[in-house]
Amino acid sequence: MPIKPDLVLVDDEERILRSLAMLFRPHYNLYTTTDARDALQYVRDHRVHVIVSDQRMPVMRGADLLREVRIASPNTMRLLLTGYSELEAIVASVNEGEVFRFINKPWDAAELKQTVNQAAEISFDLFSSQPSVTPPVSTFTETGSFIAPQPEEGILVIDDDAEVVKAVREIVGPSQAVHWASSLDQAFSILAENNIGVVISELFVKREPIALALKMLKAEHPEVVSIVMTPFQDTSVLIGLINQGQVFRFLPKPIRRGPLGMNIASALRHHRALKSAPKLRTIHAVEPVRQIEDNNVAARVMGFLGRLRNRNLGSFGASP
Amino acid sequence: MSNLAHSSGNEISTLLMRATPLNPQTSINDVGELFLQKEYAGLLSLPIVQGGMLIGSISRHQMIDIFMSRFGRELYGNRPISQIMNAEPLQVGIDQPLAAAAQHVAENIRTPISEDFIVTDNGRYLGMGVVLDLLRAMEQRVAASTASLGEAYRQLQASQAQLVQSEKMASLGQMVAGVAHEINTPLGYVRNNVEITQAVFEQLRSVLTDHEHLLDLMAAEEPDEEAIHVQLLKASAASADLREGNTLDDTEALLKDTLFGTDQIKELVVNLRNFSRLDQARVAEVNLNESLEQTLVIAKNVLKNRVEIIRRLADIPSVSCSPSQINQVFLNLISNGAQAIEHDGGRLLLKTESDDTHVHVSIQDNGKGIAQEHLEKIFDPFFTTKPIGQGTGLGLSISYQIVQAHGGQIRVASILGKGSRFVVSLPIVAVQPQAQTQAIAA
Repeated sequence: MPIKPDLVLVDDEERILRSLAMLFRPHYNLYTTTDARDALQYVRDHRVHVIVSDQRMPVMRGADLLREVRIASPNTMRLLLTGYSELEAIVASVNEGEVFRFINKPWDAAELKQTVNQAAEISFDLFSSQPSVTPPVSTFTETGSFIAPQPEEGILVIDDDAEVVKAVREIVGPSQAVHWASSLDQAFSILAENNIGVVISELFVKREPIALALKMLKAEHPEVVSIVMTPFQDTSVLIGLINQGQVFRFLPKPIRRGPLGMNIASALRHHRALKSAPKLRTIHAVEPVRQIEDNNVAARVMGFLGRLRNRNLGSFGASP
Repeated sequence: MSNLAHSSGNEISTLLMRATPLNPQTSINDVGELFLQKEYAGLLSLPIVQGGMLIGSISRHQMIDIFMSRFGRELYGNRPISQIMNAEPLQVGIDQPLAAAAQHVAENIRTPISEDFIVTDNGRYLGMGVVLDLLRAMEQRVAASTASLGEAYRQLQASQAQLVQSEKMASLGQMVAGVAHEINTPLGYVRNNVEITQAVFEQLRSVLTDHEHLLDLMAAEEPDEEAIHVQLLKASAASADLREGNTLDDTEALLKDTLFGTDQIKELVVNLRNFSRLDQARVAEVNLNESLEQTLVIAKNVLKNRVEIIRRLADIPSVSCSPSQINQVFLNLISNGAQAIEHDGGRLLLKTESDDTHVHVSIQDNGKGIAQEHLEKIFDPFFTTKPIGQGTGLGLSISYQIVQAHGGQIRVASILGKGSRFVVSLPIVAVQPQAQTQAIAA
């Protein structure tokens, strides 16, 4: 990096700020504050590459701050630091803040440094690209007609509940291809034979965990946008899906059609942006999967990805 | 004589004994003989039936009176039994419930008990019943219902204990979330500071090595001036790096923070232990001012920067109580108070005072208050105004029971829109523990 990137640190505990400042001072231009509103103002007034914010703060939660930061400066990479993972905070930080990483206290200094460096590099790329390449800020105001369908971006629903695929089909209309997989193997074959832009998935299908497949898919094909829709609420699984799977949205079940429609529209727009600007895909760089939870699934996913790579099929052909 | 135990729901029929009734024309002498027969041996009295209908009864007692009077047998022996029979015998309808039959028998039986009851169906004779059997049947039934009441009571107690447990788990979950956050924050910077210090230590070691090398060069028997010059530049550059980066001062500050952080973690853990008092006796002499302070640390997460705490703690005597239970009451009242405050500028006033017999702890908030119609229900189990899933509705009810079991009182006053005040009064000298304590402590 030619110049020092700009890093903003926000935490209501000054000792955290002092500690982090010492870690980052040699390589970054730092701005530290205990006041979330102050941080937001700074991001509005300056070019900031990375912001690291605590979740639990008086006046404004970290997830709320990052949502505002995303609107004010979408090229600023956002990291959320938390002392205790609350489900609400995780969901809000993904759906509204589109966070890059979710970091638990206490953190590992070397790892954190690496993560922030990576975020800074991505942000540098984004800022240096043409303005048109900046990621679209999908606001939640979309109502009425669905966005114009494009035949090359199919939607894959991975869920053993037929109601889900029915709801998705009704929302997107007949001109958009919606594929349905009720098992992991079915999902593989649909991915191999079709152009898929958006995946809407449960976390368990026929009692088989899907999370690992979603993570590995994102690592190989960052332009595929995934929405996880599940009643399942385990904070550590969800954090893994952010850090290692860059899941685009977490939606609760039972299905609420309004939000689902808006989020599918956002996901499709996001997919188009990623496809048109390969550089953008770096914002979804994922952490390597540290623990392989299920070797059987892992082997099958690897096999599938390998076959796909060799055949260089479908929309994945565009990926580097 | 046979005991006809019908399996129908009719309870009287289970007491029914078939006994051949007497004819009203039977002579008193013959009746005397009949009483001696085996068939009637267990009966105090015999039925007298005409055309299937019960018309009277005759008891052994009556017969004895006749036979024992002078010339009784000679005077009355040949007369028909109908002349001396009891025309209003003790009778019970076959379809009468057991309890009603027992009551009827008890009210109408003569003393000394000299007759059994006769079972009829609309006046038609069916058989005899022994009074003692009826009483025994009643006794069995009372015992059975006592047993089922006892069972129901045990089940109620078990589910009560379960509810108390789930309320405990709910507040424990809230507490763990808060404490985990409180601990992870200092742990976060402590760990980071140690990692940074480690890196600084490496830097120091290399500076030291440079200086040592310089000393070695200078102390050599034939000093190499050129090498000394190079090493001098290198060592002073390294030292300058340290100085200019303010590394040592900064690291010193970090180490100070680190000590502060570990003390904070220690304090949290001590408080957690004091709060739960799991390592202490169930009942202890406790200063309630200290209990309040311990509870405040635990509740910090709910209160954090949102609610100003005002303490007006008097010098109060210790009270004998179960500290973990009383802390549970305080945590419940403090977090309720904090949750009732929806505006900025929330205040929580904690006041303690004492009189000759009691210590009073008042917890007052300036929150939204409690509606008059809710006020009388707030101590009821399951009453909650919180949304589904956010409150068990047991917190105050359990608090109420805990305070009552300590022989104390909990009172509430509230003005809608202004706030609420809860006052817990505990006796200075412990009352005899009540049975309830056991249920709550479970």
